[in-house]
Amino acid sequence: MTQVYDYLVVGAGPAGMAAAIEASHAGLTVLVLDQAATAGGQIYRNVGHSSTAQERVLGPDYSLGKPLLKAFMAASCDYQPLAQVWNIEPHAQGFTVAALIDGRSVNFVASDLLIANGAMERPMAVAGWEKPGVMTAGAGQILLKASALLPKQVVLAGSGPLLLLLAHQYRAAGVTITALLDTTPRSNYWRAMPWLVAGLSMPKQLIKGMWLTLVQRICVPYFANVADIQIVGDAQVKAVRFMVAGKEYEIPTNLVLLHQGIVAQTQMAQTLACEQEWSDAKQCWQTQVVKAGQTSVPGVQVAGDAGAIGGAQLAQLEGRLAAMARVKQNCTHPSWARKLAYFALSWRIRQLHWARGLVDRMYQPAPWLSTPTGTTVVCRCEQVCAAEITDIAKAGCAGVNQLKAFSRAGMGPCQGRQCGLNLGYLVAQAQGRSMAQVEPLSVRSPLSPINLGQLAQATEL
Amino acid sequence: MIASAFSLLNQPSSLNPDTCRILLNGIEHQVPVAMSVAAALLYLGQGATRQHPVSGQPRAGLCHMGVCFECLVTIDGQQNQRACMRPVSANMSIISTPKDLNS
Repeated sequence: MTQVYDYLVVGAGPAGMAAAIEASHAGLTVLVLDQAATAGGQIYRNVGHSSTAQERVLGPDYSLGKPLLKAFMAASCDYQPLAQVWNIEPHAQGFTVAALIDGRSVNFVASDLLIANGAMERPMAVAGWEKPGVMTAGAGQILLKASALLPKQVVLAGSGPLLLLLAHQYRAAGVTITALLDTTPRSNYWRAMPWLVAGLSMPKQLIKGMWLTLVQRICVPYFANVADIQIVGDAQVKAVRFMVAGKEYEIPTNLVLLHQGIVAQTQMAQTLACEQEWSDAKQCWQTQVVKAGQTSVPGVQVAGDAGAIGGAQLAQLEGRLAAMARVKQNCTHPSWARKLAYFALSWRIRQLHWARGLVDRMYQPAPWLSTPTGTTVVCRCEQVCAAEITDIAKAGCAGVNQLKAFSRAGMGPCQGRQCGLNLGYLVAQAQGRSMAQVEPLSVRSPLSPINLGQLAQATEL
Repeated sequence: MIASAFSLLNQPSSLNPDTCRILLNGIEHQVPVAMSVAAALLYLGQGATRQHPVSGQPRAGLCHMGVCFECLVTIDGQQNQRACMRPVSANMSIISTPKDLNS
């Protein structure tokens, strides 16, 4: 007889860890599946094994993950690292979740699910971004956190808090930042202005952000309002070319790190048919949440950046709230103290999301980056360029899913994760529609590739 | 193989003892333990991970968090493994042969 868990959490980042702690303390049987080797998610990656040199470079916010990780490791939940979830479906007793563990597929059953697998970086399709020597800023930070690897020299390009933070961390570690190319359009600052009030509700973060911005502008070769970035090179990056106010620049480099914010990973919720909605502020699809992480599908919750992007602090609170809501189901008469804690937590989450409005608007992607042109590769897996997609869209293609059938864009191993948003933007632009009117790419199992042998050996229930 | 664009943060003058032996395309190397395979490739100066099946161009990991599938390599005989998702282990054999890597 297979064990039926009360609560299965996918992802051991701040949201997943906080939820597992709360739920297991309340007496639920909890299983956490995480794809990484150690818990922490991307933000607190490797925080349990980091050296003092890493902690010095990464800054105090990284070490905030330590007490959370400690509480998670002490909690009485089952935790399975290096587990790649490839299938989730409804089951007589709730849901069955199949994960690849050490090359074998293993099934787990749970009455309730929490999807907390976080976010990914918004793809930044500039000309030549497929060449070796181009990575994301997140990748650069992961290499620093998990492997203590640093580039000798780097060009950073894009927009958003992570890019500035990484520049700061790299400088602290003595990396030569050859240039920082800021693609944030000037109009964003004006658009974000009314949201300054929201930002002022979190003065500490606001000051930190402004200080980070200011320091980079002074301490590294900084270019503002950058457009038309091109990566130059053959088998390896040799230089980056770009325009500022009508003037062309070319800077030699062997490494370019790109970043333009993060977007929610909605694939798991989509396979379970949870309703999706387009967020104009965050410029990405996200899973609709009724309250306390509850999606449109009974028994399925989302928390943290897998839902609405909000960062680590919010993710931790949302994870806790989602678990409290799940615990409430088993408890007919919650105490007043519990009710009050629940109410206070949901209020705090609402307030933090409102404060996040400033960052959302300030770092919206520049239009030229959302709608690439010409031979710029949009679908990296199937090597489909922007012009081909625009042509198909202009010929009257019904949407991104039909476009996938016509062009193969979105059919490769990454399953549309790197091109899906740009396909949507290109179709919307060509057909004069809004993003909300262009549906997202459909998601089908397997959520990550599995070979036929593994599928055949998949443990049957 | 070209000079690596990456180096270790705590550059070991006291030579970091926690290394393990891996085989990259049959050649023996020592790399720090707990590194991902993708990080180990960068550390060893291999900037590209695979030859793209459609374009034939060399490609390399973009995201290092399991999303982009650009860092696919063969690990211990298993094809199409995401190098960024697998920590290195003792005597691991990695096959990664992007064409035109160092041209």
